[in-house]
Amino acid sequence: MRAAFTVLLCLVSMSIAQNYEYKPDPNWRAPDSAVSRPNPLASRPEATPGGKKLFLRNCVECHGQEGTGVVKKHAADLQLPAVQQQTDGILFWKITNGNPDRGMPSFSKLPDLQRWQIVLFLRTLPFQSSGSK
Amino acid sequence: MQLSCKYQYMTPRAAVYFLIILLSATFSSAQESPYFVTYDHHMEEPGNLEVETFSTVGVPRSGPRAYFAPYVEMEYGVTAKWTSELYLEAQSTHGDSTVFTGWRLENRYRPLSREHWINPVLYLEYENLNEASRIQKEIVGSGPEFAEPNSELRPTRAHELETKLILSSNTHDWNLAETFTVEKNLSQNEGFEFGYSFAFSRPLGTLASGKQCRFCRENFAAGAEFYGGLGSTNGFGVRGNPHYLAPVIVWQISDNASLHFSPGFGLNHESNRVLFRFGYSYEIRGFGSRMARLFGAKL
Repeated sequence: MRAAFTVLLCLVSMSIAQNYEYKPDPNWRAPDSAVSRPNPLASRPEATPGGKKLFLRNCVECHGQEGTGVVKKHAADLQLPAVQQQTDGILFWKITNGNPDRGMPSFSKLPDLQRWQIVLFLRTLPFQSSGSK
Repeated sequence: MQLSCKYQYMTPRAAVYFLIILLSATFSSAQESPYFVTYDHHMEEPGNLEVETFSTVGVPRSGPRAYFAPYVEMEYGVTAKWTSELYLEAQSTHGDSTVFTGWRLENRYRPLSREHWINPVLYLEYENLNEASRIQKEIVGSGPEFAEPNSELRPTRAHELETKLILSSNTHDWNLAETFTVEKNLSQNEGFEFGYSFAFSRPLGTLASGKQCRFCRENFAAGAEFYGGLGSTNGFGVRGNPHYLAPVIVWQISDNASLHFSPGFGLNHESNRVLFRFGYSYEIRGFGSRMARLFGAKL
């Protein structure tokens, strides 16, 4: 019983310790070497459904089913020009490294090709010309 | 806490139900690490809680009897750089008794924000255990005590602090990870005890298929671990301490669940003949925000 109480106390205290404030980070910039990296799957559109599957698995929790960003998660709207105008290499770099100081985890645990598949899928999202979350 | 139950084997019907529950979970994966002892630099995603139940079945070389040491692990992503875990562990020795062996609270912190060639992670753990502990989540010093019965080991409690330096790299879809462990028993003057582990692994498939599949290669990762004790400040070195070589495999059976298995082979006379490790993990996404709402936070 005491152990169960300890468990509950730890979990509650850890959940309260989270920071739910989100502000776009102007310092989250990919290095030059990453900007121009081409997507090795660019000529393989048949890999896009796999990217969608990976997106639904790994990204939906914060970015939502449509990639528009879950407001309460302070996550970016992936349909915005500010995201869609970034190169494939930048998106790949951001998925790989994350931005841990702002809550975006690194997804380097996924194989390289799977991260490129997610980039492929991001390109299929509807493009919003204006508006923001 | 002494548990009075003896061995309870799973009946065939219960095993079938268990498998049905596992297989009825939704498809596919989040790329779990296959390691049991070694840590890599991938942290739990913030706000997620991973509940894991692992077990170690040890078969000593001679004399002492086989044992079963299960543990429950709750891993929470406090932030993208900080993961915290709570362990509850027990042990049952064939022909002896079943005992609760204690708890551990562990924290891992990743100091660097970006991916590097080598990614360090700092680890600090407090352990409140008794000497009957045999889960061997790490092996330090000369390993756990096997010769004494549980009734003699259980009353001896140990408050221990453990630190690890974790170094992990991802290269060409391979993960390479090393940990160096230092443990100090605060209850007794045993000096500092040391341990190590090395591991490598790779997913069997690197391209995700577009269809939902359970047995696709992308849902499996395999590799090997090499771990053991390095003695203590009273006698440092590899000789006279247990060492194991253990193939590892993980199968992502659903979007948030995975099965882990590793047969570890003892490499010298100080090691058990074999350590079978197996486990099941289940990830609860958004646990932190759900708990916060439950306690009145406005999100």
